[in-house]
Amino acid sequence: MIHFLKKIIQSRKMSKQVIDQGAASSSQALLSRQLAHNVERLMQVFGASNDIVLREFSFGHEGKMQGAVLYVEGLANKLLINESLIKPLMYDIHIFEGRLEVTTLEAVKSCMISLGGVEEATTLESVVDACLSGDAVLIIQGFEKALVLNTKGWEDRGVEEPKTESVVRGPREGFTENLRINTSLLRRKIKNPNLTLEPLKIGKKTKTDVCMMYLKGVVNPRLVEEIRRRLNRIDTDAIMESGYIEQFIEDAPHSIFPTVANSEKPDVVAAKILEGRAAIIVDGTPFVLTVPMLFIENFQSAEDYYSRPYFASLIRMLRFGCYGITILAPAIYVALTTFHQELIPTPLLFTLASSREGVPFPAMLEALVMLVAFEILREAGIRLPRPVGSAISIVGALIIGESAVAAGLIGAPMVIVVALTAVSSFVVPAQTDSESILRYIFLFLAGVMGGFGVAVGMLGLFIHLAGLRSFGAPYLSPLAPLSVHDQKDVFIRAPLWAMLTRPRAIGWRDPEREHFRLEPSPPDKGGKSSK
Amino acid sequence: MLMKIEKGTISSSQLLFLAAAFVQGAALVVAFAYVVTKHDVWIIIISGLAVTLPFLWGCVSLAKSFPGQNMVQIMESVYGTFLGKGLSILFISFPFQVISHNLRFIGDFFVIYMYPKTPLVVFLILFIAVCAWAVRSGIETIARIGLVTVAITIFIDVLTFFLLLGEMEATNFLPMFELSVGDFIQGTHIMFAIPYGELMIFLMIVPYVNKIKQAKSALLWGLTIGAATLLILVVRDIAALGSLANVLVAPSFEAVRLIDIAHVITRMELLVAIVLLITVFIKISVLYYASALGIAQIFGLRTYRPLVIPIAIFSVSFSMVIYDAAAEQMYVGANIWPVYSLLFYMLPVMTMLIAKFRRLPRAQEGVRP
Repeated sequence: MIHFLKKIIQSRKMSKQVIDQGAASSSQALLSRQLAHNVERLMQVFGASNDIVLREFSFGHEGKMQGAVLYVEGLANKLLINESLIKPLMYDIHIFEGRLEVTTLEAVKSCMISLGGVEEATTLESVVDACLSGDAVLIIQGFEKALVLNTKGWEDRGVEEPKTESVVRGPREGFTENLRINTSLLRRKIKNPNLTLEPLKIGKKTKTDVCMMYLKGVVNPRLVEEIRRRLNRIDTDAIMESGYIEQFIEDAPHSIFPTVANSEKPDVVAAKILEGRAAIIVDGTPFVLTVPMLFIENFQSAEDYYSRPYFASLIRMLRFGCYGITILAPAIYVALTTFHQELIPTPLLFTLASSREGVPFPAMLEALVMLVAFEILREAGIRLPRPVGSAISIVGALIIGESAVAAGLIGAPMVIVVALTAVSSFVVPAQTDSESILRYIFLFLAGVMGGFGVAVGMLGLFIHLAGLRSFGAPYLSPLAPLSVHDQKDVFIRAPLWAMLTRPRAIGWRDPEREHFRLEPSPPDKGGKSSK
Repeated sequence: MLMKIEKGTISSSQLLFLAAAFVQGAALVVAFAYVVTKHDVWIIIISGLAVTLPFLWGCVSLAKSFPGQNMVQIMESVYGTFLGKGLSILFISFPFQVISHNLRFIGDFFVIYMYPKTPLVVFLILFIAVCAWAVRSGIETIARIGLVTVAITIFIDVLTFFLLLGEMEATNFLPMFELSVGDFIQGTHIMFAIPYGELMIFLMIVPYVNKIKQAKSALLWGLTIGAATLLILVVRDIAALGSLANVLVAPSFEAVRLIDIAHVITRMELLVAIVLLITVFIKISVLYYASALGIAQIFGLRTYRPLVIPIAIFSVSFSMVIYDAAAEQMYVGANIWPVYSLLFYMLPVMTMLIAKFRRLPRAQEGVRP
């Protein structure tokens, strides 16, 4: 048996070596001096793809020099190539008339090309890579090097208001699918040379650009090291979205709770970077990851900090309450009506009993049916085309809400409980998936063991949360372990001038956020300024 | 020197809350003392505290003089390998028994008051399963939960205290000091042996506190906070229930039942059940953790995790057969257990004396584990 396994492993190793060798030989292939040879090899690599544009031309004094430009149509900016690359080479009067002798590649680079980013490439693979990422490649007869010109320019969705995190007050811009635009949005928020970008390419086939961003001096260097280590060990074919990255680097892959946060809003990500977190931006998606993630981040919204503290604190507490309602309300209702009728005040008990009279199912089944119906409606509402969506809500509200009660299949209180649960679940959108699962777990526990089951489930949930860590930071921090300073941003949102320090679990390297005594106050009557 | 099994550390404030939650876990166990001291229970809560503080102080001093070592390791250094291991087994059997008693207690409570038709074993298994999960997650996780349980407990206790103000009668405390000396000593002894003295088991945890110097005050404050919570409870129950409190299995449960404010805020006893559940959870988890860690250390295992499930199975079976009925537990708790447990409370005292006598720890500098 072991022998057999060994054999398999060996053969896999062998085949891997072969593949590696193949990859190595092609990447080692250097460009030759012969233009025709290079062009031929490149066209072999690209095969029949017709979006590859190859433009061969001659330039220089009496057209003595031969050159070729290679780019992918749609990825590279055609206008830019024509105006700043081909045109100067072909029409420049100085070389055309031989007044300027261009003999080296450096001369071409420094005198002839009016483009910002120019690099040299020596291998076939780097040329191919450059082409596929939108650059134009200039190969000239007689040189072993090619010039890679930054001409990236493809069609993009512009900066729009994000669909997921809408705010009443606050910036309306959101990240886009373009990595460069995303990094520039962050740079515009934090104009600091310490804002560091670390580029990476992940995905053997897709070679997706990934970029880690953090504020040097505030971020914990060990965090950066750890993220780098986890990103580098990703050895997969394709990265389609930041969710791919998330699933490869998260701390608790078997937990229903996410340990990597994401956001679509530059102001949110910038604020998190300023607290000492690191952001991971992936090309092709507007969702930017931030780590480490704390549980309370689910309850903090950007708007809390833009509006004044009192109302923000009230809403903050409301969110915690809604989270409790959305995971516990059906369970508690079932536990009360099935096991602990004596705990319900008598008049209420009569009302409940009379409305449940004639309902043929036990409360747990009733709740389960309603919750599943809600999930169905929600999922249908998301997937359907917009105009049909309203039809779903009418069907859902009328048939499930009204008719089921009228027909006596479902008790009216249950409809209220499930509706409350459903509405509450949208208050904490970041936790929707864990909410839905927990709801069913608690419902089951309540249906089987009543209040005891719910309490034991809560304890279990708490143990699980207290044991989680996200990139070294305890998930329940600053509640458990307790950090008194950070309580200013948990259940209440203290005024900004009172939040003096960064969160202890994350940004303790440079704890001071601002000078204290910034509380605004009107000047004294005596004319002495209070500041 | 055994290698360090637990790699986590807890802060001294976490130790404080853990100790407080541990003592609060005895909220219903105080009922044992009602039988003996009637409405003067509040006196023995204070006198028991007065007796326990020096005992605990001594325990922590012992732990501090052997830095980084828990009780099992200390006993091995003091008595030598064989005698040390033998006495360690005796010491570790203590938390193991307390787990079973507490487990049975909480199970009985739920069966009697809320689920008369459900078999006891269901509660035992569910409860120990959660505790096992916590123990598997390590001391850091248990310590993080400690603060929250203390906060919830104090909040609910104070809340019910105020809601019950209308039912309270100050005359229920009269006549005061109606205690014979024998009853007073027995009551104090019960308080020492059952809710307070069990803190001795923190000797297994103190080495993992990151600032060992603050551990002593943290434990003593934790004990005091826990005792203060018990005092609030007892005063509330006696004032609200009067002499009825002496005969009930769970006076605080019955007292909170009386709450009736405008027929809206009624039947708050579920809150008491929740508080009981979470504090007893902390208590059992700490004891459970200590016994798992201790057994692993006695037998030189590299980790205590494989022991978690077996201990759970043993304690569930043990607590199933330990009593026939809840009333029997009341009797044992008041009359037998306090005397029997002196056997275990002797261990740290004896160890401390012998360590002094042998001038241990000697030349231990630089050989820290």
